[in-house]
Amino acid sequence: MNTPWTTESLYEALRSDTSVDLEGIELSLIGGVDAIVNITMHEHGDLAMHMAVSGEQIFVSSPLCLASQVKDRAAFNEACLRLNPVNPLSNLGLQHVGGEDLYIVFGELSSRSPLPAVVEEIHALADNTIQAAEAFADHLK
Amino acid sequence: MAIWTKIITLFRGAAHEAGTAVVDANAMRILDQEVRDAQNALLRSRDDLAKIMAQRKIANDKLNDKKAKQAEYSNYIREALARDNRALAQEVATKLATIEADIATEGKIIGDFDASIAKLQTSARQAETVITRLKQQIDTVKATESVQRAQAALAAQHAGTGAKLGTALDSLERIKQRQTERAAQLEVAEELGRATGEDADLQRRLAQAGIVPGEASAESILARFETPAPRTIGHDGMPQLSQPGIASKSS
Repeated sequence: MNTPWTTESLYEALRSDTSVDLEGIELSLIGGVDAIVNITMHEHGDLAMHMAVSGEQIFVSSPLCLASQVKDRAAFNEACLRLNPVNPLSNLGLQHVGGEDLYIVFGELSSRSPLPAVVEEIHALADNTIQAAEAFADHLK
Repeated sequence: MAIWTKIITLFRGAAHEAGTAVVDANAMRILDQEVRDAQNALLRSRDDLAKIMAQRKIANDKLNDKKAKQAEYSNYIREALARDNRALAQEVATKLATIEADIATEGKIIGDFDASIAKLQTSARQAETVITRLKQQIDTVKATESVQRAQAALAAQHAGTGAKLGTALDSLERIKQRQTERAAQLEVAEELGRATGEDADLQRRLAQAGIVPGEASAESILARFETPAPRTIGHDGMPQLSQPGIASKSS
């Protein structure tokens, strides 16, 4: 795979390639200047993830929790930083979304990654997000 | 990397304005500028490199010319000495001295050029690395921004309904609920299964008692042939079926 994916080409490939197993994964393309792929993980409680390709990178993001759902931000931040190095393939992050701080679990991979690697990333990210939400239960309201 | 500091500063600025896109357009402008600067620097050092390599080639050609002259003049001196023409040898030797001095100078100049070339090649490689990293940074910011914009749009959709932006917590809740539902379904299925089982047992006993039609057993069929009893009007009815019960009792 030498040509890098674009958001659109990756979406089309995921939709049309019969060799990839997308059981329980619903995809939809949201067009626009910067298109993104909406991913609904039916086997992960309909977790809504997003994927976008830009240049050399594929960015997949999953919403963990809102900052307003956290009991003690400082303690939670520390817990996140401590979990991050042991979290396989995914990272924890904080973003300002729609006027609110949102903790995310995200992964990045090369836009030249083969399709199975992308699917694996999607699965891993969903698993990690749900596991993180479970692990952080004590920190959340 | 200084670029990190710049981005962090921009984040700090943007975080206070509710609803602003993550890294505002400023960040992209700064990153774009950085890439342009680095690319210009790279082009400049490549130009310099080309110039110096050309100069080195000229110097090297000159050096080769001088070396050829050196060999030529050395031969002349040997020849002149062989013919005992010391005066001529002396004259050529003077010229050879100048040539050898020139060779030393050119050699030094070429050495300097080589050092400059090595330095420029290193800085070009570094510039390339910087550009690659900056481009990655830009890609990350752009991808993050697209995703963030989409999430913000989702949040905006929820804003009117009073619902919160869906997160993993909601999903986790849903998973738990589904698990509970599945467990409940299993329980119901199990209960149903047990009930059907009980039903079947009752049916069997009813059939055995001859109250409801059961499967015709080999014995009941045999019994039908052995006792050519007068057939009742309801030929499939109770009298006939009561026989297996009796038969089973007697056997």
